[in-house]
Amino acid sequence: MELQQLHLGITSHLQPTFNCQTPASLRCSVSQPQSTATPRLMSELQISPKAAPKWVTDLSNPPAYRSKNAGIPDPPGYPSSQTHSSKKKDAAKDAKPQRKAPTPEEMDTLKLKKAWEVALAPVKGLPMTGIMMYMSGNSLQIFSIMMVFMAFKNPIVGMLGTNQAFERFETETNRAKIIQVKLAYVAMQLLALALGIWKVNSMGLLPTTRSDWLAWETQREPLEYAVPAL
Amino acid sequence: MFVGANSAAPIVAWTDAEKSKLFVNVLGTKNRQEFALAPGTVSVEIHAPHLVQSEPHFLVHSRTATGNRADVYHINLKTNVVEKAYDLPELAGPGAFSTSSDGANVYFTRITEDEMILLSSASHGVLGRWPLNTKNSKASAVHAVAEVVKKSSQANSFAVRAAAVTSADEWTLIRNGETAWSRPEGMSGAVAATFAEIPENEELVKSLEQEAHSNPLEAYIHRVKRHIDDLQHLPAYLNAIPSRLISSIMGTEVSAIDGKLSRDSFGFHKLAILATRRGMVYGLDVGNQGKILWSRRALKLSKGDSWDVTGIQAQELTGRVTILGSNGDRVVLEADTGKIVDAVAPGPEKSVQSSAIVDTVSGQQLLPVGVDGQIGDLPSDQTPRQTVVTRGSDGELKGVIFTANGSSSYETTSWVFTLPKDMRVVSVATRPAHEPIASIGRVLGDRTVKYKYLNPNTLVLAAVDDKAQTLSVYLLDTVTGQVLAGSKYDGVDTGKNIECAMSENWFVCSFFGQYTLRDDTAQSLKGYQIVVSDLYESDEPNNRGPLGDSTQYSALNPMENPEGPSLPSVVSQTYILNAPLSALKVTQTRQGISSRHVLAYLPELHGIVSLPRMILEPRRPVGRDPTPAEAEEGLMKYHPTIEIDPKTIITHERDVVGITKIITSPAIVESTSLVFAFGIDVFGTRVAPSFLFDILGKGFNKVTLVGTVVAITAGVLALKPLVLKKQINSLWKAPM
Repeated sequence: MELQQLHLGITSHLQPTFNCQTPASLRCSVSQPQSTATPRLMSELQISPKAAPKWVTDLSNPPAYRSKNAGIPDPPGYPSSQTHSSKKKDAAKDAKPQRKAPTPEEMDTLKLKKAWEVALAPVKGLPMTGIMMYMSGNSLQIFSIMMVFMAFKNPIVGMLGTNQAFERFETETNRAKIIQVKLAYVAMQLLALALGIWKVNSMGLLPTTRSDWLAWETQREPLEYAVPAL
Repeated sequence: MFVGANSAAPIVAWTDAEKSKLFVNVLGTKNRQEFALAPGTVSVEIHAPHLVQSEPHFLVHSRTATGNRADVYHINLKTNVVEKAYDLPELAGPGAFSTSSDGANVYFTRITEDEMILLSSASHGVLGRWPLNTKNSKASAVHAVAEVVKKSSQANSFAVRAAAVTSADEWTLIRNGETAWSRPEGMSGAVAATFAEIPENEELVKSLEQEAHSNPLEAYIHRVKRHIDDLQHLPAYLNAIPSRLISSIMGTEVSAIDGKLSRDSFGFHKLAILATRRGMVYGLDVGNQGKILWSRRALKLSKGDSWDVTGIQAQELTGRVTILGSNGDRVVLEADTGKIVDAVAPGPEKSVQSSAIVDTVSGQQLLPVGVDGQIGDLPSDQTPRQTVVTRGSDGELKGVIFTANGSSSYETTSWVFTLPKDMRVVSVATRPAHEPIASIGRVLGDRTVKYKYLNPNTLVLAAVDDKAQTLSVYLLDTVTGQVLAGSKYDGVDTGKNIECAMSENWFVCSFFGQYTLRDDTAQSLKGYQIVVSDLYESDEPNNRGPLGDSTQYSALNPMENPEGPSLPSVVSQTYILNAPLSALKVTQTRQGISSRHVLAYLPELHGIVSLPRMILEPRRPVGRDPTPAEAEEGLMKYHPTIEIDPKTIITHERDVVGITKIITSPAIVESTSLVFAFGIDVFGTRVAPSFLFDILGKGFNKVTLVGTVVAITAGVLALKPLVLKKQINSLWKAPM
C-alpha cells in the first residue's frame, strides 16, 4: 500500500512523458526535483545511489512523441520510441513497407553504383567541351587561351584528387572493385586531357613539324675555306 | 704650250725639254724670241688676258721644286717685239697666279702660302696686299681664277676675290685674303673606301686580351681590379647623365662628349676611310653627318695619273687602315687621326693586281697578289690557310694553295676555271667575309622546311659572249673550281652594265635583255632585267640533301662519296625593271635576322634604291594567286615588272651622281645596316630593312611612362598607412 501511494504520488508529480517500467529505476525518477517531493519520497529518493544528471537521461532516452495529430507520420529515420510509437506507427502505416536496415553487401553495391556514376561524370561533359572548343577557333585569342587552360586544368586537378573523390565510397570489402572504378575515372580524365591536347595541336602550338626543331639544327661546317682575291 | 693672249698680239709660247729656255713667237711674225728661265724650273704656266682692248702683257709663272716666281713681259705692238718688263721674287710654295682685265688694265693676282698680292701688269708696284687667313688649313693654292674690282670710293683701293684650288684638293673662295667658303671637291674621285671602328683605348684592348688568355680566377681578379680603376671615370659619367636623359626624352641624337670621338651603344658612330684617285685619303665621321675629320695626301701623283687602289683594310684591334696600290705602294694610317704610320713608295710599274685578307698563323693579313695571279713564296708565318682565288693571265680563274717547304711555302695551282674561247668575264660577286646566317632553312606555309644551300666557298661569275650576245652566269665552288649551277641568257646587250651580287643562299644579276619568248606567243621582251636565284639543298622540303645530317663536309671528296659535294637545287626568276641598275650590294646586319635588301644605284634617276627581298623572290607563284599557306609565308603573286617605288629610294630627293661602289656594314643593333656609296658623289645613310624593331621610336612617350610610374608610387606610399590603420581597426571590432 505504501508502495502504491508512492507510485501514485510520483506519477502525479511527474510529467506524463516518462514511461517508467519500474518505479525504482533511478533513471525515471531523475526529473523530479528534490524539494517538491514528499518527505517519504525524498527519503526514497535519497536512498538511491547517485542520480545521473537530467541531460544524460534526456540524451540516452529521448521522450516518446505523442503526436497530437495521429494522421501525420514521422519522417523516416526519426528515432521513434520502441514500444509506444512503434505500435502507433504499425497501426498508421500499414501500406508502407517496413524499411529494414540494409545489409553490408547491399551497402557495398550501392556505394559501388554511386562510385561508377562519379567515375563516368567527366565523359558526360566532354561533348559540350568539344563544341565550345570548336567554336572558339584556332587563333590565339584570349577566349581560346582560357578555354584551353580550363580544358587542361580540370582533368589534371581531377586526376590529382582521385582518392579524395572516392573517399566516401570506400569500405574494406569493396576495395578491389573501387580500384577498378578509380582506374576508369583516371581513364576518363585522360580522355578529357586528350581533347585539350587535340585543341592545342589544331591551334598549331605543338612542336610536331620539322620547322619547330629547326633552331636546334646546325649549319654544316666546311673543312676547307677559300678567299677570293679578285 | 700656250696659245692666246689678247687678239691684238696673240702669241705662241713653248719651252724646251729641260725647261731652261722659253720661246715666244708673236703670231703672224716669223721671228722667235728666246728667254732664259730660272734654273731648276719644274713647270711653267703662262697667264694672259683675253679681251681685245687689254694691254698685250703676259706673265710667265715658273715653279721650282720649292718655290715659284714670275716674269711679266710686254709686247710692243708696233715692232712685235717681246721684252721683259719686270719679274716677281721667288716665294715658297706652289703659288697661283691669275689674270683679270678691267678695260685696258690688266691685273695679276698672286696667291702664295701667306698672302694675296695684287699687281698691275704695267709695273711691279704692289696695288694691294692681304694676308691669307686659311682657317687652319695648311694647304696652299695651286690654281686660281680671280676677279678684281676697283673700288671707286678711294683711289688705288681694290677688292679681289679668287676661287682657288688648293694642294689638298679643296676649292675655296678667298675674298681679300679671307676664306669665304671651302668645298672638299677632292672627294669626288673616290676609288676605295672602308668602314673603320673608332679605336678604343688601347689599354682596354690589351687588358681584354690578357683576360682571355689566363685562367678564370685570374681573369676575374684582373677584371675586378680593372673595374675599380674605372671608378675614376664615374664623376664624368654621372655628369653626362642629365644631358643624355634630356636628349633621349627630346629624341635628339646624343652628340659626342667633349668633342672627342667615341663609340655609341647603337654602333652608328663609325669612321669611313675614303681613298681618292688623286692620292688623298679622307676620314669621315659616319655618326656626325659625314663630317670630314682629317684628310691626308698619301701619295704624290703627277698630273693625269690616278691611284689604282687594289686593297683597303681596316683593322679593329690596332685602329689602323692599310691601303695597297697597284704599283706596290702601301700606306698605313691611323683611323682616327689620319697620321701616316708606315708608307712604302710605289714602284715603277704595276706589280700588284689585287689583294685579299687571309688567315695566317699570325692573324689576318692583307696579301697582295701579283700580276697574272702570281703570289710567289711566302714565309711560313704569313702563309694563308685558305685557297686563294686569283685571276690568271687570260682572264681565267684559278685557285692557289700553299704548301710548306721548310720555313717558307710555295704556291701551287689547285684548280683552273677557263671560260670558252669567245667569252670574257664582266662581273664577279663574292660573299662578304663575315656573314652570319640566322636560320638554315626556310619555313614554308605548311610548316615544312626547305633547307638552304649554305656554302661559304662560292662565288658568282658573269661572262658574256659579245658575238652571240649571251650572258652565262656560273656559280663556282672556290675550293674545287666546280661549277655548281650555271645558266645562260640570250639576247643580252653586252655593252651595257652587267652586275651581280650574292648573299646567304641567293644571288642576283642585272642586265639588259632583248629577246623573243620561246613559247608560241611570239612576244618579245626588251628591258633592264634582274634575275634572282635561290639555292636549296634539295627540290622537296624537309630534305637536307644527300649529305643529310652530317656536321661537316669537304668539297674535295668525290661525288659518289656521301660526304662529297652536292649540287644545289636552284630556283630562279626574272623580273623587268623600269630603270637600269649598277653597283649592286646586299645589306648586312649583325646577326643576319633582319631581311636583306638589295641596294642598287640608278644612274638615270641619280638615286640609290633599296629593293626588298619580298619582291625579288623566285618562289612567287606564277599565274595564280598564292594559296593560304603561301600567303602566310609572304609570297605575292608573280608580276613580271618591278616598278621602282620612289619610297624605296634611300637618297630621297638628293641628286647623287656617278656612284661606282656601295659598301655596307653592320651596326651593333640588329635592325640597322650602315650604307656608304662613293664614286663622284659621296653618300652615307642607315637603312632598316625590317624597320626599326629594336630601337624605341621618337613617338614613344617616355614622359608619360615615367610620370605614370611616379604617380602610382606616390599613390601607394600615401595610401599605405591608411589601409593599415583600417585593417587594424577592423580586427578590433566585434564580429557582427
